[in-house]
Amino acid sequence: MTRIIVVTSGKGGVGKTTTTANLGMALAKRGKRVAVIDADFGLRNLDLLLGLENRIVYTAMEVIAGECRLDQALIKDKRQPNLALLPAAQNRTKDAVNPDQMKQLIEKMQEQFDFILVDSPAGIEMGFQNAIAAAQEALIVTTPEISAVRDADRVVGLLEANDVRKQHLIVNRLRPAMVQEDMMMSVSDVQEILAIPLIGVIPDDERVIVSTNKGEPLVLSQKLSLAGLAFDNVARRLEGETVPFLDFTASHDDLLSRIRRLFRSPSR
Amino acid sequence: MTSDSSPASTVSALPQPPVDAAHPNSQVRFKSEGGRLLLMLPPEGDSEFAVSWNDLWQQLKQRLSAGDRFWQPNTSVHLIARDRLLDVRQLQSLDEALTQEQLCLKRVYTSRRQTAVAAATVGFSVEQHTPVTHLNAPSEATGQALAEPLYVEATVRSGMEIRHPGTVVVLGDVNPGGSIVADGDIVVWGTLRGVAHAGASGNPRCLIMALRLEPTQLRIGEQLARAPEKPPEQFHPEVAYVASEGIRITRSADFSKLRLLAPNS
Repeated sequence: MTRIIVVTSGKGGVGKTTTTANLGMALAKRGKRVAVIDADFGLRNLDLLLGLENRIVYTAMEVIAGECRLDQALIKDKRQPNLALLPAAQNRTKDAVNPDQMKQLIEKMQEQFDFILVDSPAGIEMGFQNAIAAAQEALIVTTPEISAVRDADRVVGLLEANDVRKQHLIVNRLRPAMVQEDMMMSVSDVQEILAIPLIGVIPDDERVIVSTNKGEPLVLSQKLSLAGLAFDNVARRLEGETVPFLDFTASHDDLLSRIRRLFRSPSR
Repeated sequence: MTSDSSPASTVSALPQPPVDAAHPNSQVRFKSEGGRLLLMLPPEGDSEFAVSWNDLWQQLKQRLSAGDRFWQPNTSVHLIARDRLLDVRQLQSLDEALTQEQLCLKRVYTSRRQTAVAAATVGFSVEQHTPVTHLNAPSEATGQALAEPLYVEATVRSGMEIRHPGTVVVLGDVNPGGSIVADGDIVVWGTLRGVAHAGASGNPRCLIMALRLEPTQLRIGEQLARAPEKPPEQFHPEVAYVASEGIRITRSADFSKLRLLAPNS
């Protein structure tokens, strides 16, 4: 049974595409046949993050229009042949496709893959409607910021109304030190509002920027960084494994910050 | 918001509420009548602010899932479509959504010929009637009895708005960005973080109750209050009501005493 999962957030810039690229790669590394679909027509990025930009000949748009076959548009990743990318058209806007076409397209891909990850655009308009059209489950990506959480909340509601009930939360760009000093929302603060099960916490990491620029997802590197490990754990949890959540606090919890907290707490 | 009937931080009269504020017909509604359910769609009217099919669909899905524990299997549903134009496909998706909750659409009431034809094509009994405007229009001067309370078992999330011409009970949280507008009381068995407007048709004796009250804004009748800047240290179940100086909030434990001592306040 193919699992069709939409990665979405409402707000832009919280890490949907990074998450899609890394999870797709991590699942492929674990031996699953994975397709990642860029549903961000007109503002495609997923190909960049995977380093596949220069191999695009056909896009999803041409498949939908019947100008090419599906397998012509699918780009196999050389580093990880289990992973295929269906790129979005860059010269069109999101209104060029409708949810029914998108649904048909994804249904056609089902038999070839175990996982289909759909990278949703920001917003809740047509592009979002297209991205969720075929989805059976959703990964909600948010950062611990009030605006991102508010938008994620809206998206959770919209997904529920569209019968996507199986939803999991990924809290991205967490800065444990800031949480400890009470300057950032904690994961439980986010969860209290969104009230959906947590599947991953990704720490803020500069290496994400480097990997984006190189077109090489974090999970590909030999020695996994903390963020890469966190993405890998999400992939394992998606497959049903029980993996304990990483403890980010340990390295930051030195004597100084403990003393600081000691002074801070009574004043609150 | 601390105990002992503290005044909520800012209190002011609402700037003339928009006429449509709690228009009883502006959202999808379920009403039970004689053992069957009436599904009432908001009228389309001629205004450009008419609820779009998309919004209507979302409201319907929300209401269906928010009350699903109470739907009795095989209850027949009568659709009151009023002057709304529905095509075959929309009627089919309505039917599917109802079937999912084991409700069955039996009959369609409409004042539009096209809708009647579409409904007949899909195979529902149809009753077409000429639009009776004075029945749909809200009667301005005369008081109207409140509708039966609406029980919502769901998290009211950002962007959701629940309007109801009666009392609303929410089993769950009302998140920031979500709002409840009721002509009667509002009871939130959970945390109220969004906007709540009780007595929206202008009744200042209505109440807002929540297990944990951290609202963005409270409105009762024509009064309005913001929450204090600093959240209280401890949360208790609280009640918001209108006193002579505006909206006040008190612990629910103290509220009943208050009522006993000064039943007319």
